[in-house]
Amino acid sequence: MSVLREMLANLLGRPVTIRYPTEKVPIPETFRGRIAIDDDKCIGCSKCTLVCPAQVITMVDGPRDVQFRGKAFSRKKRPQVRLYQCIRCGICERHCPTGAIHLMHEYAGTGTDREVVVT
Amino acid sequence: MPDVVIPIGPHHPALKEPVNFRIIADGEKIVRLELNLSYNHRGIEKAAEQRNFTRVLPLLERVCGICSHSHATAFAKGVEEIMGLEIPPRARYIRTIIAELERMHSHLLWLGVAAHEIGFDTLFMWVWRDREAVMDTLEEMSGNRVHYNMNEIGGVRCDLTPGQIEAALSRLPPLEERIKKYLDMVSSHETLLIRFRGVGRMTREEALQYGAVGPTARASGVDYDARRDDPYLVYGEIPWNVVTDTSGDVYGRTRVRIGELWESSQIVRYCLEHLPEGPIRADAPKNAPKGEILSRYEAPRGELVHFIRTNGTDKAERLDIRTPTLANWTSVAKCLVGHSIADIPVIVAAIDPCLSCTSRMVVVNKERGSGAAAAPCGCIVRQRPAARDRRET
Amino acid sequence: MSDPLQTLAEIFIFPGFLFLVAFALFMAFLDRKIAARMQQRIGPPLFQPLADVVKMLGKEVIDPDGADIRLYDIIPLIAFAAVMTAFLYIPVTGYSPFAFTGDLVVVLYLLAIPAPSLFLLGWLSRNIFSTVGGIRAITQLFIYEVPFFLALLSPAIMAGSWSISAIVSWQQQNLWFIFFQPIGFIVALVGLQAKLERAPFDIPEAETEIIAGPWTELTGRRLALMNLTFSIALVAGSALIAALFLGGPVLPWTLAPAWLNPVAGMGLFLAKTLAVLMLLSSIRVATGRIRIDQLTDIGWKYIAGAAVVQVGIVLVINWLWVVP
Repeated sequence: MSVLREMLANLLGRPVTIRYPTEKVPIPETFRGRIAIDDDKCIGCSKCTLVCPAQVITMVDGPRDVQFRGKAFSRKKRPQVRLYQCIRCGICERHCPTGAIHLMHEYAGTGTDREVVVT
Repeated sequence: MPDVVIPIGPHHPALKEPVNFRIIADGEKIVRLELNLSYNHRGIEKAAEQRNFTRVLPLLERVCGICSHSHATAFAKGVEEIMGLEIPPRARYIRTIIAELERMHSHLLWLGVAAHEIGFDTLFMWVWRDREAVMDTLEEMSGNRVHYNMNEIGGVRCDLTPGQIEAALSRLPPLEERIKKYLDMVSSHETLLIRFRGVGRMTREEALQYGAVGPTARASGVDYDARRDDPYLVYGEIPWNVVTDTSGDVYGRTRVRIGELWESSQIVRYCLEHLPEGPIRADAPKNAPKGEILSRYEAPRGELVHFIRTNGTDKAERLDIRTPTLANWTSVAKCLVGHSIADIPVIVAAIDPCLSCTSRMVVVNKERGSGAAAAPCGCIVRQRPAARDRRET
Repeated sequence: MSDPLQTLAEIFIFPGFLFLVAFALFMAFLDRKIAARMQQRIGPPLFQPLADVVKMLGKEVIDPDGADIRLYDIIPLIAFAAVMTAFLYIPVTGYSPFAFTGDLVVVLYLLAIPAPSLFLLGWLSRNIFSTVGGIRAITQLFIYEVPFFLALLSPAIMAGSWSISAIVSWQQQNLWFIFFQPIGFIVALVGLQAKLERAPFDIPEAETEIIAGPWTELTGRRLALMNLTFSIALVAGSALIAALFLGGPVLPWTLAPAWLNPVAGMGLFLAKTLAVLMLLSSIRVATGRIRIDQLTDIGWKYIAGAAVVQVGIVLVINWLWVVP
């Protein structure tokens, strides 16, 4: 029977289990992990705040100078994401005009300090 | 033994999600049963009516983890039709690829779970190992193994690169080999056959009478598939077949699902090879004009229906979801009578129950103040009323 | 009769209590590891069954409301004691130090105790799932016990003795019984799988149907004892089949240095018992669970029939040839 043959072949072979954390699964390019905000690119337009489905982004003070389309601007606000509520849908990344907010490959986002989990 | 009442659920190893049957059994034979659904009601319909079209799609995806793309696509295509928006062909093909990959992963999950329900853990482990190929493909394409969030009103969120297409195409041939092998195993493995054959038999008339949909109905010979009979995305343009069976028992449903697995892999291959160039989204207006639409979609479990009413704003005014599992529960209640206790997990698993999907609609009887519906077979199907239904619509 | 100290050592250390429990835990590990590798999983590490027993001994014992607690505590102990005593008569390094004529019957009766004890536990639990599971356990007992006894009777008839050690010595002088009675061997394996309530016969414990059957309300030390009981029953049953059909732990010739014989015997015991375990694990991995009414069907039609045919063949052979 095919079941018996496969059982015997498996017994003589290797298991397919990936022994996390010593072995890790390769992460694809498009993986949606933890949010990161690039302050040099962010122009403070608040588009991410508006489109976020879970409404976890708020604009906080963050005065800085940015280059946008060849001109320098002085911006006052930057986004702050509540990482523990972010559902990692990627809609903010899709709508950001400069690519400042993006999702990294980091998936292990635990911490013990609540301040750590707010970017 | 005199009649005993055996409660199955809401916590039970056979159930992946909470549902409650009270089985009245005479020894090992089931005499009657009462169904209690709605343990998973989360008020998603009301929440969806408060979010604009950009924000609502991830919420709708989370109606169900396994058929997430189904809900999002059904809603998106419904709203696009109200807006009169034509999405570009590349977006339609990408949506179809993700939809069929989702069907594959759902059916592979089902096959493993069905094997586990009869104690055949080996097949469960093997099938889920092969399912990982589909999950890897979905992760490469969309960034996540479930909840792909590929849809936007107007198209898809991100494109497929040539590298992703090639990787997906390379994963298909070994998967097709395995699907053929599983069909062979399922039709020749003794314990599987004696547990599945003849169990939960439903004739074509009964399937139509009790409103069964999806592979549950197609196994009884009901030749209805929303992809062919109400075509959407690219199903009207590409060659594919509807899989039916005539036996009407759990074995028939197994064969239908494995057949659909095969068809889905062919559809995915065709779409990947014939993916048209072009933009992946069209510019969608912010508000949808006033209108009502019934959007039908063939989810892995059957026909999924979204009723959407819009009123000129950027939110849906009313969203009502009728999921396939809700339609199939009455057939479970009917099929279980006369079988033994050992058949309960088999027959329940055969409709591929997704309780997170089910708990949507409540029938409220204003005189009695509670929701109850008597199914024609004499079993009681009861859903608990939700707070939202006491508001004025 | 040897001195009492040696008897005590044989009962409690080797081949009694300590060796038996250690070997049972090792067999449980091997069973799970083989099953896991066949499913392409990794499987548990070596000390997992020991860790399970130790952990369960330390867990809280929950008494079901209204159950008879004294009986609830005693029944696992009785089952445990029964299977341990059964192992004393099974040869490990040669002949069993406790062998006597009729010990085969005693072993069979002792090994039959775990199933009714599960039924009693299920009945006492006052839980509908346990009751259904207990009834299934007893129904299953009636179905497989007859063929199992018959299949193990056939070597006794051919060897002309009711003592396991005498049957082993008969095989030492002639051929292994598996060559004379292949049908009996298969029926014995199936019967043992049903006795141990492993797939395809894990009907009393059907996890997806009746939660855990009679095991549902067992917690803490009671669960540890019953688990250990079934692991020891696995050892005792496999060793019994190895002794009766595969020649037992004796070589057909004696080796030159006298101390080498028990060592060789130990090696043979391990090899043959583990071979039987491989077969049992393979059966477990390759099948799903059947229903109790299907088991009734198959059991009485095919398994009992095969066992009766086997006994018939043995009687005919005995009548036709005078076997020395």
